[in-house]
Amino acid sequence: MLVAHLDPLAASIFSLMAIASLLLAFVMLGSRWLINYLYAFAAESWVIAALSAAVAFYGNYPKLYLIAILTALFRGLFLPYLVWRIIRRLNVAREIHEILQPSSALVAGALCVVFSLTVAYRIGQSLGLAGTVAVLALTIMLSIKLIGFLMLSVRHEALSQILGLLVLENGIFLGAQILVPGMPMLIEIVILFDLLIIVVCFGLLVQYLVSHVGSTSSLSLKRLVG
Amino acid sequence: MTRNILLQICQVLAVLALSPLLQGAIVQFEERVQLAQGPGIFQPYRDLWKLFHKQIIVPETASWIYWLAPFVAFTAMMTVPILIPVLTDFPLPLSDMGDILGGGLILTLGSFMIVLAGLDSGSAYGGIGASRAVMVAILAEPTLILVFVGITLLAKAMLPFVVNHLLVANPAVYWSPAHLFLIAAFLILLVVETDRLPIHSSTHIEIYMIEEARILEYSGPLLALLKWASMMKQFILYTIFCNVLLIPWGLSHEGTALGVMGSVLALMGKFLLVVCAVVVVETAQSRLRFYRYQEVLAASFVFAVLAIIATQLV
Repeated sequence: MLVAHLDPLAASIFSLMAIASLLLAFVMLGSRWLINYLYAFAAESWVIAALSAAVAFYGNYPKLYLIAILTALFRGLFLPYLVWRIIRRLNVAREIHEILQPSSALVAGALCVVFSLTVAYRIGQSLGLAGTVAVLALTIMLSIKLIGFLMLSVRHEALSQILGLLVLENGIFLGAQILVPGMPMLIEIVILFDLLIIVVCFGLLVQYLVSHVGSTSSLSLKRLVG
Repeated sequence: MTRNILLQICQVLAVLALSPLLQGAIVQFEERVQLAQGPGIFQPYRDLWKLFHKQIIVPETASWIYWLAPFVAFTAMMTVPILIPVLTDFPLPLSDMGDILGGGLILTLGSFMIVLAGLDSGSAYGGIGASRAVMVAILAEPTLILVFVGITLLAKAMLPFVVNHLLVANPAVYWSPAHLFLIAAFLILLVVETDRLPIHSSTHIEIYMIEEARILEYSGPLLALLKWASMMKQFILYTIFCNVLLIPWGLSHEGTALGVMGSVLALMGKFLLVVCAVVVVETAQSRLRFYRYQEVLAASFVFAVLAIIATQLV
């Protein structure tokens, strides 16, 4: 396993990038405007791409460079561009019906981080990895996932939900890059195309919401149609 | 030993003498950024001088708390510099009276007395100011405690001197995420506690007043003491931020007269950096509504939690 024996510099670079992406997840959680939300997502994807490149450099996995480039182009440019097109078409600038205030959401996110630290700590201890970057990577992976779930549950705009789902996926990808860098190339490419399909599906859903319900809030989808 | 006692007295005197200069510098820089002339960086000294030569007018409703509060606040602010590294990086006599939490306790005692005094005179504005100040304190205090906990976990000690030595001796700890997040969390607290934007309560428009409303009933030398105490609080928080967290270098190591002079100059240089950052924040960010204060402080809370997480893993 790569993370169990890293030199201190590489370990600190990895942890700094991982924590930076967690911070960007918090920026998304606390932002009111959809466009800021989108920028933070793009920035997070770039950080994760840089992390892949760092893993490729320190772990000698040449194909991870390709993954890094694909991540930066696909998650950092193409997906945000698609979502930006939807935002521009819809004239929805911000989240209107918030269940949680951004500040309460931030505190709830902090609690999620504490929870995932506890879980990761236990797992790390049982695997004999306590005190390595593996625990940090696991913590951040779990907490970005929980934050993604939090975004999905406290926001109603369809666009926020696309981004919440993408953040969730970013978290898993980040954890995979650090913990199991030797994943087959094919799987990674398949995941990237999966994301494309998610965004296209949500684009269709948004179209449907606008044409049939007249708003983009998923709160209007209450009636069960058989 | 005698020299150390003298140095300790110098620390307190430095805080006393230089705190109006810091306030003046911030105000003057802001004026210059807005392309105004500004009153000059020595204006707070002139204000204090003027206030000390005015008569005291006491409200009829005031009790002994009204008289006590300025003195308690001023004394508290003169006590804290004894506990922290202002000029030297080694502990001086009596600096073992309290750790970081002790210093925080004394700082809070000063604000607590001013809140009581604001309520004491029975005026409406004093009540509003006191209630708002307590509200902000309730939001800021948990983060402050978390920052202290983070520092303690990082250095395995609660003494500011130990933290300072650790950061100087160990660049890996200085650049660790835990420390960087602690800096970010403390910077937000610093901006909030010293009444800068985005909260900016030291205005004279009634509906925004926080700090000013509490001391609205004071006049003359008592008002001067309160103003001086709040400037000293600002200076002390800047000192903790610079000498313990942000730039732990440039303190006198042996305690010679030359070294102390050098550390005074270094302190001014460090403060200049922080003041520039604060002025940028104040210029770029507009004042938040009262009901959005918690967002800034929640961000600071998140930084502190992340710092604690990161200390657990390094």
